[in-house]
Amino acid sequence: MADKLLITSSPHIRAAKTVRGIMLDVVIALVPASVAAVVFFGIKALSVLAASTISAVLAEYLYEKAVRRPVTVGDFSAAVTGLLLGLTLPPAVPLYVPVVGSVFAIVVAKQVFGGLGTNFVNPALAGRAFVLAAWPLHMTSAWLNPLTMDAATGATPLHAFKGGQAAGSLVDLLIGNRLGSLGETSAIAIILGGAYLLMRGVIDYRIPVAYLGTLGFGVFIFGKPGALFQGDPLRGILLGGALLGAFFMATDYVTSPVTPRGRTYMGIGAGLITLLIRYWGDYPEGVTYAILLMNLATPLIDKFVVPKYYGYAHDALARRKAKEGGR
Amino acid sequence: MNKRSLIGEFTKGLIEENATFKMAIGLCPTLAVTTSLVNGFWMGVAVVFVLTFSNVFVSILRKVTPDQIRIPVFVILIATPVVIVELVMKAYLPAMYQILGIFVSLIVVNCIVIARAEAFAYKNSLLRSAFDGLGIGAGFMIDLMLIGAVREFLGTGTITVGSVVLPPKPLFEPMSVMLTPPGGFITLGVLMTVLNIVFQRAAAKKAKTVS
Amino acid sequence: MVKAKRGSGGVAVPDKKELSGRMPIEDAGIPAELTLFLSQHIGAPSKPLVNAGDEVKRGQKIAEAQGAVSACLHAPTSGKVKAIEPRYQPVLGRVVDAIVIVPDGEHALYEGVAPVGDDLQAISQEKVREVVRESGLVGLGGAAFPTAVKLEHPPGKKIDTYLLNGVECEPYLTADQKLMEESAAGVVFGFRALMKGAGVEKGIICIEDNKPDAIKAMEEASKPYPELEVAVLSHRYPRGGEKQLIEAVLGREVPPPPGLPLDVGVIVSNVGTAYALATALKTGLPLVERIVSVTGEGVARPANLRALIGTPVSYLIDRVGGFSSSPGKVILGGPMMGVSIRDTEVSIVKGTSGVLVLPREAVETEPVLPCIRCGKCVEACPIRLLPVWIAAYAENDFMEDAEKMRAMDCIECGACSYVCPSRRPLTQSIRLAKAHIAAKRRAAAKK
Repeated sequence: MADKLLITSSPHIRAAKTVRGIMLDVVIALVPASVAAVVFFGIKALSVLAASTISAVLAEYLYEKAVRRPVTVGDFSAAVTGLLLGLTLPPAVPLYVPVVGSVFAIVVAKQVFGGLGTNFVNPALAGRAFVLAAWPLHMTSAWLNPLTMDAATGATPLHAFKGGQAAGSLVDLLIGNRLGSLGETSAIAIILGGAYLLMRGVIDYRIPVAYLGTLGFGVFIFGKPGALFQGDPLRGILLGGALLGAFFMATDYVTSPVTPRGRTYMGIGAGLITLLIRYWGDYPEGVTYAILLMNLATPLIDKFVVPKYYGYAHDALARRKAKEGGR
Repeated sequence: MNKRSLIGEFTKGLIEENATFKMAIGLCPTLAVTTSLVNGFWMGVAVVFVLTFSNVFVSILRKVTPDQIRIPVFVILIATPVVIVELVMKAYLPAMYQILGIFVSLIVVNCIVIARAEAFAYKNSLLRSAFDGLGIGAGFMIDLMLIGAVREFLGTGTITVGSVVLPPKPLFEPMSVMLTPPGGFITLGVLMTVLNIVFQRAAAKKAKTVS
Repeated sequence: MVKAKRGSGGVAVPDKKELSGRMPIEDAGIPAELTLFLSQHIGAPSKPLVNAGDEVKRGQKIAEAQGAVSACLHAPTSGKVKAIEPRYQPVLGRVVDAIVIVPDGEHALYEGVAPVGDDLQAISQEKVREVVRESGLVGLGGAAFPTAVKLEHPPGKKIDTYLLNGVECEPYLTADQKLMEESAAGVVFGFRALMKGAGVEKGIICIEDNKPDAIKAMEEASKPYPELEVAVLSHRYPRGGEKQLIEAVLGREVPPPPGLPLDVGVIVSNVGTAYALATALKTGLPLVERIVSVTGEGVARPANLRALIGTPVSYLIDRVGGFSSSPGKVILGGPMMGVSIRDTEVSIVKGTSGVLVLPREAVETEPVLPCIRCGKCVEACPIRLLPVWIAAYAENDFMEDAEKMRAMDCIECGACSYVCPSRRPLTQSIRLAKAHIAAKRRAAAKK
């Protein structure tokens, strides 16, 4: 009988949002930053982004075919990873950099650990860390001057900023008229995308707010060499990849804590590590490693940061019982 | 258990009981010295020599070795060929000895060698033990050379054997990360995955045709 | 007006009340057969007072309460007892004994049914409690917990507030809404009687802001009584859950099971219960009928029916014009917590607030994907549990860990499953864990 009634456990209706829908939202949120990158860095930017995205999707497809798992490129998560990776690269890198980075991100950082949902670090950042270790020269010098698109010499504004010098006007920083990786130049475009994700309820405001707040406050305290409490928090946040990291990388579901309080801790921790690397490390930027390290701390945060269950707040006996229960 | 021919004792070490990719033992030198094909080769040679002779010694003395103190006995029996290898290398291959350094001495405690002594040579005849040592050692050598070749090629863009450099000029920008420990882990993991998939599929195919 | 807080967790669910929200309450009529389960809800089954072949009349008691958590049963109409036999009880999900009545169509009232009075001053607290007991009154919101047990609370507990639950946060259902709109005075009378029976001085009527007409009617009806207030809550599921309501309106948290609202000085009853008590006091008629929303995209003419307890679901669906398309699911209750049934020949119980029919295309099951740890279930959980872990533990048979994560505190509201973008059956997995833990505890208690 074809028209038998279906029996399932309640609830019988589901929210409209699916994994695919969420990933599509992230892609949409990345459109402003990608467009800004193409506007400032031209065809070079477009080719880098295309190479990283296409090779990420292809890598996922081929890997899943090779190990005979169901193909999941339809959930757009590989496309998101590839696009994010592309946005963290300097504009003038040779095209094999995004390709190798994407393949590493998808195969080694994601699929080997079981695919979407079981990877332990953010695949895009793992890919970036890999190409950074593989071709450090490309990754720290392949800059282009915005708009004119000729090869730029000299340090990025972040280098100058670390030395305590002024680093361009705020307007230039906001629009993106400066040296930098594809996705980190235009602050407005990233904030636009982040706002879209917040509005759609895709990401939790806690991680970006805690991260950028910690970072800004730390820059204010330590930002000026030789003097405390005279740093420039705004430039500290706008320079480098902090914005992109805060809105798109640190908020990656799989590698961030599930509890609201845990997410706050994740943001604060990433902010502190970024500060450590920026001011006490050799390296001008620490967003990648800060977030990767907090990814590794996520299971720990999840284990120890649990919400106060309903009904345990007022009753001392119940509180004790809950404690005896194990946590 | 002892149904294998002597040739079988040798060949099992190449794939079936491959030290690195199947049993995942003796990984410290695997990761530490495999920055090039040549390094892998000489380390492999050292292990083949040590393993064969330690197996032979253990097998000869297996009936007179008391169970309770067998591990110390093994260590002494293994240390002998290790010292020989070390001195020979120092004399004739000083440059290679500089690179492999401590890892040659450390073959004494290499778990492949101890594992073969304990699991095989202690229970088997001299000839079998010798072939087993040769086979496992050869498999290990191939593994080291394979990992070394991959890392050297990706990390420097070329593979250098003596005065031969292939390809003569790097085809791409070398990835320096492959020469670092993380590169070693990544190469090992990827190769292990790929080879195991290949072996499994081959075994499955074989099982199918047999049945 | 009481200002309500946001409360913990919860999800935004579609309203869907427009389907049946404008339809006035109409009588469902008398079906060819009524099935009255002796177990209408959890607790001890009631004991039949009639035998097969007996003639019964409308309002006549046919089964007596037994044990602490139990309520008596009455014949909804006049007719003949056909049999007392085991039948499938859809809400409990097992076969229980039921009294089957074949109506004679005369709908003759039982001689013992007599009004108590409509002046609350003249009715003693003891009398109210007796009427509640004798009318077989249970919570009509869904769980059908015997009301008498709530009113006759242990003397040590100080109860300061009585909440009347007209939230009806489940999508689709409009039974409580229509009752408040059409019979506000009766509901308020019943509520005051409940307060008298429980000896509570202060009463708050709680309604969600998506029912403006009901709010207006209830404010109007409660105006003369200074002890009553109306609290308007924002629309968010599961606001109407007892614990969530207490948290939102009073800012108190009920201790975890076996904690009860009594422990924080509160009693909660459904508007339907209040109205049933009003009917019992004014006319003497016990709980023999209730308002049932027969709704959903799968029925031809969604409606609110006044149906006799024990009416078969198929009869109710026929009354609203039958299925509009190929039915996919028939659900007793709302879409979030209701029970799907495989056979429309089963009968409604006292706690059935709605019959929801979803068309086939609306119930296509989507593939279950791996958890992406988005944490939406954590945000949604009104008990602030971590459904993601409890479900994962349950799926992998780590029941002790699930217990440590307070699986037993789960109220099974379904919010976590609802929001899950990977479509994981979280609520179902947690139920599994609860069943396991409960069985383990029973075994331990036996030892």
